[in-house]
Amino acid sequence: MTSQLQEGLVLDGVTRAFGGVVAVDDLSLTVAPGRITGLIGPNGAGKSTVVNLITGLLRLTAGRIRLGGRDITEAEAPEVARAGIARTFQTVRLLKEASVLDNVVAGFHRHERAGLAAGLLGLPSALREGRELRRRAAAILERFGMAGFADQPAGSLSYGHQRRVEMMRALAMEPRLLLLDEPVAGMNDVEADALGRIVAELAGDGLGVLLIEHNMRFVLSLCAEIHVIDSGRLIASGTPAAVRRDPAVIAAYLGT
Amino acid sequence: MIDLLLAQQPLAELILVNAILAYSQYIALRAGVFSLATAGLASIGAYTAAVLTVRWGVPMPLGLAAAALAGAATGGLLALPLARLRGVFQAIATLAFVQIVLSLALYAEPLTGGAMGMNGLPRTVQGWHLLGVFALVLYLVFALSRGGVGRAFDTIRQEETVAVSLGIRVVQYHRLAFALSGAVAGLGGGVMAHRNYSLVPEDFGFPLLVSVLTFVVLGGRAAVLGPLAGAAVLTALPELARPLADYRLAVNGLLMVLFIVYLPHGVVDTVLLQARRLRLAARQRAGEARA
Amino acid sequence: MALVAQQIVNGIVVGSTYALFALGFTLIFGVLHVLNLAHGAVFMWGAFTGLFAVTALGLPLAAAFAIAMLAAGLLSVLVDAVAFRPLRRRGSPEFAAIISSLGVAQILMSAAQIASDTQVQRFPFGTFPIVFYQVFGLRVSLQQIVIVGSVAVLVAALLAFLFATSFGRQIRAVAISERTASLLGVNPGAVHALTFFLCGALAGAAGVIIGIAFNSVHFLMGEPYLLRGFVVIVLGGLGSVAGAVIGGLLFGMIQTLSVAFLSSALSDAILFGLLFVILLLRPSGFFGTLRREIRVVRQ
Repeated sequence: MTSQLQEGLVLDGVTRAFGGVVAVDDLSLTVAPGRITGLIGPNGAGKSTVVNLITGLLRLTAGRIRLGGRDITEAEAPEVARAGIARTFQTVRLLKEASVLDNVVAGFHRHERAGLAAGLLGLPSALREGRELRRRAAAILERFGMAGFADQPAGSLSYGHQRRVEMMRALAMEPRLLLLDEPVAGMNDVEADALGRIVAELAGDGLGVLLIEHNMRFVLSLCAEIHVIDSGRLIASGTPAAVRRDPAVIAAYLGT
Repeated sequence: MIDLLLAQQPLAELILVNAILAYSQYIALRAGVFSLATAGLASIGAYTAAVLTVRWGVPMPLGLAAAALAGAATGGLLALPLARLRGVFQAIATLAFVQIVLSLALYAEPLTGGAMGMNGLPRTVQGWHLLGVFALVLYLVFALSRGGVGRAFDTIRQEETVAVSLGIRVVQYHRLAFALSGAVAGLGGGVMAHRNYSLVPEDFGFPLLVSVLTFVVLGGRAAVLGPLAGAAVLTALPELARPLADYRLAVNGLLMVLFIVYLPHGVVDTVLLQARRLRLAARQRAGEARA
Repeated sequence: MALVAQQIVNGIVVGSTYALFALGFTLIFGVLHVLNLAHGAVFMWGAFTGLFAVTALGLPLAAAFAIAMLAAGLLSVLVDAVAFRPLRRRGSPEFAAIISSLGVAQILMSAAQIASDTQVQRFPFGTFPIVFYQVFGLRVSLQQIVIVGSVAVLVAALLAFLFATSFGRQIRAVAISERTASLLGVNPGAVHALTFFLCGALAGAAGVIIGIAFNSVHFLMGEPYLLRGFVVIVLGGLGSVAGAVIGGLLFGMIQTLSVAFLSSALSDAILFGLLFVILLLRPSGFFGTLRREIRVVRQ
């Protein structure tokens, strides 16, 4: 059982075709807990399709996906999230009018325990839980140095800060696996490095992180293991140093 | 002064009835459900209460409870095919539902009186009953807003993709919204049955559907007091400004367009947003002054 | 049996008018992905314009028909400008479009109510010659033949326009992806306006036909058509032109048969109930292609 729990996220022969076009072809990889695993590839390599397959938005044509030993191949998106996969989005998606604190509170959904009746009737147990969640969200804000923004509407923040809110919301889920979909797109190097430090720290705490990126520099500096896909196929896997020297990767990125 | 207030009592009662129906619509919209079924659900509540009390002598409070239950059950049934469908389909299907209820009410003549409707209904709901029912609905909506259900509704409405990624089971919450909206609409319909002397199927047709929708669009779809404000303004407007009454349809339509285009959050939500913006700005200025 | 056959013939006539109405409805959805709840009001104003052209201007029916189509087309473009364009520019969600078009519909209905003094208006006697034929033992009127014939011509013209002209290609390109189309040099604003014009003109034609067929034009006449139009386009598949035609004919037949053999109140319940059956069994309709937009599940 423990070994299964330590298994993390496993993609086994994952394939997806749109009509006759194979967007992801027989992709197998593992994301171990406590490590940052990178998935990179040039534009149109099939990265977004992989994200949608993992998070339950797209159906697989073939293959299996497991998380901590549990098969989530057929699970609908909310069940995938409840199984423990948290994600951020390529373009930031926040509840723009809601406050930063409320955005983070929304992330606790899968841990809410107050019953339906208690919530609908406004019973003390539900109100207590609400206060408790706000307190926990405030603690997360504190950790990310965002306490001063708690009451701001999330949409009014700078881009870098909005990214942070999204990350905090994902962490509120207390996930097994954090899936970051191009988290540094549109960020400058300083912001990217700050985010990188946070991600490294989270992995240090035992969280499995799947980093899907276009930005090579960021991935190379952060990941323990990197998988490279091109035209939906895995073309290389290994340490950053090995991947960087791989002729197939160089060809894919520079074009031949 | 007292006389003046008493003279306005029918208007105040009408506002409360409309507000109850507006909350039914509000619950659906707040959860991101594009249900336009409130008119049909209210019809079911109204006929349930009227038939039970008039034909079978059931006491009024029980009749109202049955109306709410019938509304909730119908809303729940509606949700079975509709909860997993996208917004446009929910809107179309619930429009059709209102028509189905209307034609069934016309058809089931032995029960409903058909096109002639039910007449000579006893007026058993007094002002304070009405106030009580309204308070109950308001409390329900407040409680819902402050708890996890409200949080889930808000997330679904604003960003469904995010809701799903946080593990919110959208389909289940949409079902809940349908059932709750149905319960409140049923209750509203029941109250209408006990306030009006007669009941005809056309009371619950397209015009009611549109006005209820207008209340919520005008008042606001997020803040709890939005629907009440919308119902109050739109109900009182034609009563207080008589010339407007002749053009009610056009005024309603114009308000709908103007609000959704220029003030899409409605009155109450916009005011609250502005107030929060000012408060934050003031706090920031205070912080800068100290620094 | 002859009775059934007679009802089927009547159903085809009624259904062809539903098809004409639903064509524009479904096309707007296909191209702009919004429901135009003012489509019924445009239809109603088409009928009023046709009536006005005959009674006040004394024009022949064919000219009145053309004027009604033109006027309804322009009105439809106006509806777009007031109800949809401001929302499009802001990227507002589909809900806002439902509300604003509903609002415009209310205004248009109210205007018609005032203009007609809430009265039912009628075409003058003899606007259309009353002639009946016996075909295979069925009674068919000249009017019915002309209705089906003109609907067939209009549908054929629309299809020819959509599939054989460059404007038509642009409309279809925007329907598939507005962004790609505009990258290819298509002006989406022009395509939207043109789409609304075409759809409004078709609705106007349907309005005149219905106004003459039932010899009644009034400000509420658009509402039942709007509501039935929903069933037709869901039956045929949202956004599908062929589906709207077949759905309309099917709807007309079910309606006439159920009115003839059951009751008119029950007929409505059956027709609108049909919509739920479709949504449960086959939510993309029987000819629809927009499957992606329907359910929230793994695709």
